[in-house]
Amino acid sequence: MIPQVPTYLLDRCGLEDSHTLDVYRANGGYAALAKVLGGMDPAEVIEELKDSGLRGRGGAGFPTGLKWSFMPDPQKDRRARYLAVNADESEPGTCKDRVLMEKDPHGLIEGILIACYAMRVPVAYVYVRGEFRHPYNRVAAAIDEARKAGLVGENVLGKGFDCEIWMHKGAGAYICGEETGLMESLEGKRGHPRPKPPFPAGHGLWGMPTTVNNVETLFNVPFIVDRGASWYRTMGTDASPGNLLVGISGHVERPGVYEIPLGTAANRILEDWAGGVLNNHKLQAWFPGGSSTGLLPASLIGLAMDHDSLKAAGSMLGTGAMIMLDETACVVRAMEVISRFYDHESCGQCSQCREGTQWLHQIFRRMENGRGRMEDIDLLESLASGMAPAKTICALADAAAIPTHAVVKHFREELEAHVKAGCCPRKTARTPETVEAGA
Amino acid sequence: MTKIIIDGVEIEADPKQPLIRACHDNGVDVPMYCYHPGLSPVGSCRICQVEVKQGEMPPRIMVACKTPVAEGMIVDTRAPKAHAARRECLEFLLKNHPLDCPICDKAGECDLQDFAFAEGQGEGRSVEPRRKLDKRKSLGDVIVLDEERCILCSRCVRFFEDVTKKPQLTVSELGSRSTISTFMDRPLQGNYQGNLADVCPVGALTLKKFRFQARVWNLEKHFSTCGECSRGCSITVEILRRREVKRIRPRYNPDVNKWWMCDVGRFAFDRFNEEERIEGAAVRDAQGRLVETGVSDALAKAADILKVHPSPAIVASPWLTVEEGEVLLALAERAGVAAAFVAPPPNDLADDLLHTGDPCPNRRGLVELGLAAISAEEALERIGAGKSAILVGERVVELLGEEALEDLPAALRLIAFVRHPVHAPATNVCIGVPTAVERTGTWINVDGGRGPIAAARPAPPNVRPLTSTLAALAELIQRQEAPA
Ligand SMILES: Cc1cc2nc3c(=O)[nH]c(=O)nc-3n(C[C@H](O)[C@H](O)[C@H](O)COP(=O)(O)O)c2cc1C
Ligand code: SF4
Ligand code: FES
Repeated sequence: MIPQVPTYLLDRCGLEDSHTLDVYRANGGYAALAKVLGGMDPAEVIEELKDSGLRGRGGAGFPTGLKWSFMPDPQKDRRARYLAVNADESEPGTCKDRVLMEKDPHGLIEGILIACYAMRVPVAYVYVRGEFRHPYNRVAAAIDEARKAGLVGENVLGKGFDCEIWMHKGAGAYICGEETGLMESLEGKRGHPRPKPPFPAGHGLWGMPTTVNNVETLFNVPFIVDRGASWYRTMGTDASPGNLLVGISGHVERPGVYEIPLGTAANRILEDWAGGVLNNHKLQAWFPGGSSTGLLPASLIGLAMDHDSLKAAGSMLGTGAMIMLDETACVVRAMEVISRFYDHESCGQCSQCREGTQWLHQIFRRMENGRGRMEDIDLLESLASGMAPAKTICALADAAAIPTHAVVKHFREELEAHVKAGCCPRKTARTPETVEAGA
Repeated sequence: MTKIIIDGVEIEADPKQPLIRACHDNGVDVPMYCYHPGLSPVGSCRICQVEVKQGEMPPRIMVACKTPVAEGMIVDTRAPKAHAARRECLEFLLKNHPLDCPICDKAGECDLQDFAFAEGQGEGRSVEPRRKLDKRKSLGDVIVLDEERCILCSRCVRFFEDVTKKPQLTVSELGSRSTISTFMDRPLQGNYQGNLADVCPVGALTLKKFRFQARVWNLEKHFSTCGECSRGCSITVEILRRREVKRIRPRYNPDVNKWWMCDVGRFAFDRFNEEERIEGAAVRDAQGRLVETGVSDALAKAADILKVHPSPAIVASPWLTVEEGEVLLALAERAGVAAAFVAPPPNDLADDLLHTGDPCPNRRGLVELGLAAISAEEALERIGAGKSAILVGERVVELLGEEALEDLPAALRLIAFVRHPVHAPATNVCIGVPTAVERTGTWINVDGGRGPIAAARPAPPNVRPLTSTLAALAELIQRQEAPA
């Protein structure tokens, strides 16, 4: 049975017609907005967020309240200002924002409205991954509903607060989920990330102060405002309070998106929520938070799922997308697949990323196809060191380098066995023909 | 000015310029590919990584081209970490590079080649096949793209965005599949395409006209000034084997053309390579044939003509230098007449970047001297109205029209200081002149700036400078007058 822990994120999602305004309102929806507009100062909202300790759910785990406080004072800086909502969800393994957008779009809208109020932003853009047609339609319909109900647009709830929300469809590039790539794309340009500094809070969309937040991050906001920072801190850990949506996939009995208090041990999530490894197999390796966080060995499955515990283990919480590989899987093949992804998705600006992602993929593909060399293993490590950390404009190069370091560190024997055997030593793993074809 | 320390030396840096400029201005070599001082920095190639320490923070590796200078910043370009980062970056850049330097026009002035050579990384670690792409993709009449050599620095893209302000190029596709292309593969447009070959740090964008023409280290380079319009862009004239002009390139001049020049000026050098010219002088003999003779004889003949038919109409070329103009004025004074130059009407090449549309490179200089600017029609009228005329300088025949000269009455005595023989019946004396790449002097541009022109190659032995032949003629006239 799934353990009973306090939840809030997915509570409404199981209800019939959960995406409609009526159901949302009947279940306490827009109460937080009314509370905020009814007498909270924008600065108070930001303070509440800071107290709550909410950390961004887009991958980097940056404290949200602090991020909001970077926006310049509108009295002193009279430029236009924006909120950009990152709904580009494309990190391999990740599918949590999608659930929220499909099942509970008003929760996102309420979060956007409160964020805009707190940062005194009159316009928000929701940048939706191109393939997300259904989630897009759900959010668009919800915005329409909310606008008709006086919740979006001019004079929200009659309180003199104006807030417009626009939607934008991406074209399916992973790099447009990187916040500055997202802004370029929103401006109608190629999604080429921008060097930082300048940071978005000073120089974002069209050069104006901008904050970029992930869907799940904003979804947390109404709950924090409504129930208070101290309630929020009853869940999760000190440094990572609250609940997290974990999308667990791969070789598990019950793949899906679960709401879990931050700090829960990964093996508990695997066993208690996801029902354990598929077919009672043994776990071989796992990604804690999307492919960029790197493969960890089964021996580390006891790690707690929160920012600091994973960081201490040389990995990251990332998007909280756990991918499980059982003993029949081939880690080289897994790396072939994900390195192909980064080669495909690098925007191509930075030399190390453009050439490095291709190079890594070529090596993993050779290994997988039985043409690996022993010296390739050290070469992989050396190349990954040339690409990251912080050597490029954005963190995509890091996203390709981290899993490479991880596989060499934790699975060197597996790589060596591949090279020696000239093929995958695991007879149970799939044959490489498909790999060559897909490359 | 901002005080910073680069490699242990305190210097003053311009706070409006990125750190890489402070390095370069102070003789510290930091490699660069995507950065170009005339284009907006993007910080994408990552080759310019240096170590920067600011305040109490631990030193960080940063790209010098995207880092603003800040008071008290301590920069170490030679820090082992920074050096290693640049080498790594270089290895990635070379991973797919075809290394076809032996057949590459850029070899010898290629930033990638130079830096790879300086770093001495002789062996690559890649055993993967190199990218196979289009090695000769035409981008219009001027430029050809070798996609395999391209390192995607995007300078060419930004050239059109930042300089001509009419974007024409883009990076298409993503990541390792990226290439440079125009919209729907349309050819490039406009008068500034040639600059792409200069901004490209490697041999990806080359001039069709320079393709396989010369190895750049065999070219002798001479600083000069472009004569195709009154902007007077600073240029380098590049000569092969002391004879042939192979290439003209813009030379940085902050007041005039910055790093750029137009294609009309860049490709105007064929005229300098034409073989046919008067290598000394020619005079019309009793049978009416133009026969070659020495310059002194021709000058004496001219003086004789002017004695019998004084008050010549003097019509000069707008390509005359200030120095030549001065001597011509002295001659005119001696002959007791005024001098003018032919100024063709503005052409439609004018734009808001460089080209002024006025084809006279020294209009301002000649007018300031006191030469009148007249149209070709008026010049012909003046010539036809007198008994004798003197035509002076390169291209003056072209401007007046050879046919118009043919139509002049045969009784007229024409004395021509020109490059090509003038076959009009009225021609009595032709004296050869050096071209703009064979003489020194000054043109004054539209804004009053002085543009020096330099002799990039010697004129043929018997072709004397105009200043000398015109002065000699003036003296002959004076001597003839003296006894009378
Ligand atoms: C290559 C790359 C891809 C990213 N993709 C996404 C994405 O799809 N969705 C997302 O929310 N954040 C993504 N991010 C993180 C964003 O840059 C940014 O940190 C995040 O949207 C900030 O929101 P938060 O503070 O609410 O987490 C990506 C980052 C990188 C480097
Ligand atoms: S790191 Fe990669 S994806 Fe990011 S800007 Fe550079 S080339 Fe583009
Ligand atoms: S020259 Fe600085 S990043 Fe390219």
